Formats: sequence, C-alpha cells, structure tokens
Amino acid sequence: MTPALWPPTAQEIVFLLLSVVAVGSALLVVTTRQLVHAALWLVACFGALAGCYLVLTAEFVAWVQVLIYVGAVVVLMLFGIMLTRAPIGRTADLDSGNRVVAALVALATAAVLVTVVIDGFRSAYTPLDPGTGSAKSLGGSIFRTWVLPFEALSILLLAALIGAIVISRTDIKGRE
Amino acid sequence: MNTITAPAIEYLQLAPLLIVFGAGILGVLVEAFAPRYLRRAMHIPLTLLSLAGAFALVIVQTIKGVPTKPSAMGAVAVDGPTLFIWGTILVLAFISLLLLNDEDHFVPAASAVPGSAEEERALIEGNVHTEVYPLALFAIGGMLLFPASNDLLIMFVALEVMSLPLYLLCGLARRRRLLSQESAMKYFLLGAFSSAFFLYGTALLYGYAGSVDLAKISTALSANVGQDALLFTGAALLGVGLLFKIGAAPFQAWKPDVYQGAPTPVTALMASGTLVAAFGALLRVFWVAIGELDWDWSPIMWGVAILTMVVGAILAITQTDIKRMLAYSSIAHAGFLLVGVVAIGDAKQNATALAAILFYLAVYGIASIGAFAIVTMVRDAGGEAWHLSRWAGLGKRSPKLAGLFAFFLLAFAGIPLTSGFFGKYAVFQAAVAGGAVQLVVVGVVASAVAAFFYVRVIVLMFFNDPAPDGPTVVLPSWGTASVVGFAALATVVLGVFPQPVLDLAQSAAGSLFVR
Repeated sequence: MTPALWPPTAQEIVFLLLSVVAVGSALLVVTTRQLVHAALWLVACFGALAGCYLVLTAEFVAWVQVLIYVGAVVVLMLFGIMLTRAPIGRTADLDSGNRVVAALVALATAAVLVTVVIDGFRSAYTPLDPGTGSAKSLGGSIFRTWVLPFEALSILLLAALIGAIVISRTDIKGRE
Repeated sequence: MNTITAPAIEYLQLAPLLIVFGAGILGVLVEAFAPRYLRRAMHIPLTLLSLAGAFALVIVQTIKGVPTKPSAMGAVAVDGPTLFIWGTILVLAFISLLLLNDEDHFVPAASAVPGSAEEERALIEGNVHTEVYPLALFAIGGMLLFPASNDLLIMFVALEVMSLPLYLLCGLARRRRLLSQESAMKYFLLGAFSSAFFLYGTALLYGYAGSVDLAKISTALSANVGQDALLFTGAALLGVGLLFKIGAAPFQAWKPDVYQGAPTPVTALMASGTLVAAFGALLRVFWVAIGELDWDWSPIMWGVAILTMVVGAILAITQTDIKRMLAYSSIAHAGFLLVGVVAIGDAKQNATALAAILFYLAVYGIASIGAFAIVTMVRDAGGEAWHLSRWAGLGKRSPKLAGLFAFFLLAFAGIPLTSGFFGKYAVFQAAVAGGAVQLVVVGVVASAVAAFFYVRVIVLMFFNDPAPDGPTVVLPSWGTASVVGFAALATVVLGVFPQPVLDLAQSAAGSLFVR
C-alpha cells in the first residue's frame, strides 16, 4: 500500500534536505575556483550522501561511505594537492575551455537518467525496515551469495597493485 | 546462533579458474621472493603448466558431464558453451604466452622516460619486467570468468579483472614506447568509460528486475510490464559496454590504436582471448537475460553488425601499418560474428548459431595469433617492420615466412581449404536459417572487400621487388616457431577436416546456456 505523499514524514524531510546539500555541494565542487575548496566541498557532498544512506536504513554502507570516501579518497586528494606543485589558492585557469560542452553532456546525461528513473518507478514504494542494511546482513550476503565476486575483486586489487609497482618503481636494479 | 551458513562452492567445476588465479598469485610470490636471475626460469613453467592443467581440468569436466545448474551460489555457469569457450581461451592463452616468452618485447624499465639515459642503462643491465607473467595470468583468469558469469555483478568484476592487467600490459612495449603508452592511456580511459556504461546498465536492469541474475532478469521480462523505459535504457547501456569490448562499430575507435601500440604478443592475446571472452559474455547477456526481447534488440544488432563489417573492411584498405590493418580486420571479424548473434530463434536454431559462433571464434583466434607471431619476426633496425611498404618483396627473400603469412591472411579472408572458410560458412549458414538473408548478403560483400586488402598484402609480398635495405627476418625462438607451426597446422587441418571441432562445438552448444 502506498502511503499518501502529503504530509511528508520526518524521514522524507531529512532525506530531501540531505539531497539538497549533496547536489548543492556537488555543484560547488565543479564551479569553485580553488582546488582545495573543491576537495572540501567533496567532503560535504559525500557526507550528505552518507546521511541519505543512513536515512534509507543502509547503516553499514553509510559508515563505509564515510570511512572510504571522506576518510580515504578525499584525504588522498588533499595529500596529492599538497605533495605536488598543484596551484593552491584562487586560480583563474581552472576552468576548461570545453566547459559549455561538458555542461551540456552532463545535463543530457542527468536528464536521461532522471527521466528513466522517474518513469520506471513513479510512485513505487518500499517500506524501510530497520536492520536490513546492518553489517550483519550485509556481511552474510557478501560471504554467502556474493563470495565469488568478492574474491575476484581481491584479485583485481592485487593486479592493480602489481601494475602500479611496474609502472612507477624507479629503483629496479639489473640482474644480480 | 550468530552463524552464517557456509556458501556452497563447487570447487571442481571452478577448478580451471582457481588454478589460473592461483598460479597468478604464486607468480606474485615469485616476484617477491625469488632472486632476479631465477624469476623468468620459474615463471615460464609455472604459467604454462597452470594453463595446461586448467585445460586438462576442462576436459575432465567435459567427460564427467556438463553441470546443468549454476555453480558458486549462482555466480558462475559452467555449462557446455562455457566449457568450450574455456578450452578455446586456454589454448589461445597458452600459445600467446609462448609468444610472450621472447626476451625483447617488453620495456626494461617501465617508469623510465622514453629515450632517457635511465632507460638506456636499464637496457644495458638487462632488466626485464617479469611481472608481465602474473599480470597476463590475471587477465586470462578474468577472460575465463567473464563468459561464465551468470549474473551482471560478477560479470562486471570479471570485466575489470580481465581489462585492468591488459591496460597495463599495453603500455609496456619496448619499441615505439610513446605510442605504446598512448595506447595504454587511451585503452584505460575508454575502457573505464565503457565500464561505467556497463555499470549504469546493470543498475537500471536491477531496478527493473529486482535482481542482477541473468535468469531472473529473463523471468522479469514477462512479469514486469510497463517499465519499458527502465528496461530498454538498461539493456542499451549494458549493450554499449559489451559491444565496446568486442570492438563493434561505432565503439571500435580504440582497437587500431591499442593493437598498434601494445607489445605484439599482448596484441595477439587481446585479439584472440579477449574477443572470445567478450563474445561469450555478450551472448549470455543477449540470449539468456534479454533473449525474449529479441524483437526489440535484433534490428539494432543488425545495424551494428552491418556498420562493424563495413567500417572494418573499408577502413582496413587505407591502413599502412600492418598491426593497424590486422586490427581493422579484427573489427570486420567481430562484425561477421555479430551476424551469428542476430540469428536467434527457437532452441534448435540457437544451438546451430551458437555452435557456428564458437567454431568461428576458435579458428579466428588461432589464425590471428599466428599472424601476429609472424609480425614479431619481421624486423627493422628499430624493431618490428611495421610499415606495409617494408613488407614489399618479402616473398622473394624468405618465401616460407611470407607464404605462411599469406596463408593466415587467406584464412582471414575465408578462402576454401582454410579454417576461416568453414567458420564464415557456418555463421552465414546459421544466419540464413535464422532468416537474416539480407545481413548475410552484406556480410559476403564485406568479406569480398576484406579479401581485397588481404590479397593486396600478398601481392605486395610476392610480386614486388624487395627494397635493398629491407627488413630482416629474425631466426625465431622455439616458442615463436612452435606458435607459428601450431597456428598454421590448426588452420590447415581445420580447413580440410573441420568436422571433429565442429562436432565438439555442436555438442557444446547443444545444451545451450543454463539458466
């Protein structure tokens, strides 16, 4: 049974607010003229997304989002900015010459995806039961139903590590 | 109470996969602990034995009987077509690795700037990147997993496991390094792009069917009506990802650049193994998951097949680089194979078409490895003699080599008494039986156009005078010699007496894909 759309529940209001934050900060990531600010807006965007996951009862995914994206990916980016000679501060030439085309492509992609999703689901409704996204149930399905993809992913990571060593190590000696 | 029931894994059915991945991991350990001078000597037997062992296990599995339901919690389907594809990929990978064994295909120090003193020093010190062996094994393991995947999630993971090591291997050519690095970069960016398409398609189809399992998507087709936008967009995005991997037009742009830049043994592995694996996965998605939808996708597939054949055949004529020409030829062959994909119908028709595609894949893969093996042997001062004009008069200098190359080209063209003839004949026959007569007409015309540029190279080799400073033909190592010998033998034998392998393909296809 689909509950009425009006008045919205507290969950729905929180979800909407978080999504506004996520979309707004995502826009700021690509429009700000300071590289470090872009990275920090990314933190806000990922954080708001994690909040969305939390509202949808996917608690484990939310914490993983915080740990991996906010904790690791953005910190890695900041380190990247810090350790290279990337310009910090207001930069005028941060905008690419292709930005009009890029914006058009992004808008078109968004339009297609939004239309498809709205058309596909319309007023479909899934009741949110607490606990379906818990670490326990997720762990159970990863190590049971999805165990083979999970193991194959570890192979992928290993291959990526070896590859990174191959193309970046400079201290390779000759035959001993 | 807080326990998870252990998943049911059919280890014996997965054994070929596990052996290849296991050998890859052992290879990494060899890299970590073995002294540098011993590594190659340890990698070669490890790699070749693991591939041979996996092949033996595929045969054991075939004799024991083909499983009738998916293994490993529904993730992998080890059915008749999978076993045939596994056997094919393992044979192709084995001979590609014999080619890869040769000393001087790979860069001595990948991180050194091309042309720098550092690179020079590494070259003099005799450095080798022995990491290519485990990387190749990982790629081959991904190739085995890709066509066997029974749900879209493992298919995506397999796609990445297959592609990532190949992106890396492409950038490690010893000569024309800038070209090689450019090809790796291009392949990586475009490949990542196509993976994103695949993933979006998966997400939308999951939204449609509520499952990523191919069989469940198929059942959802009749159950969920009225969500067509989700289904069609998802299927289209998934199709883009898969068609990119086989290099079908209009997603073929990466193929010539990558085939040209990659070290030739890696090109051989991609031209054979990746194509076989990607076709297996494409068939599984289009025939199993959205097979009921063939009225909707087959007109599009018609268009893609025609475009691929025409683009491959016509653009090949204008090429002056031998590897680029072979790449366009590979695009044209992907088009011929797509003709078989369109020939879907009832179960019997499907089995015929599937058998034809499997046979075609096997014979094309072997012939293309043979052709690339010969490309590695014709050398200039700066490496392989890549410009076609350098091949002029080769037939007068080394008639045996030029004769073999001409023979492989004739097999590509599909001349009778070569294996390529029966491959093409089988696919076109299946397509005619499936009612795609017009498509077959286009296919035959495209074959004729393709035959023109194959014959042009043969004429160039035999009826032109050799340049005074022409390329030299290096004495092949035992590996390269046996690859060329095996490929030539297989092309002759399958061209004269194809029945055993055709029968094998038919019995493999007879059970169709499990659901």
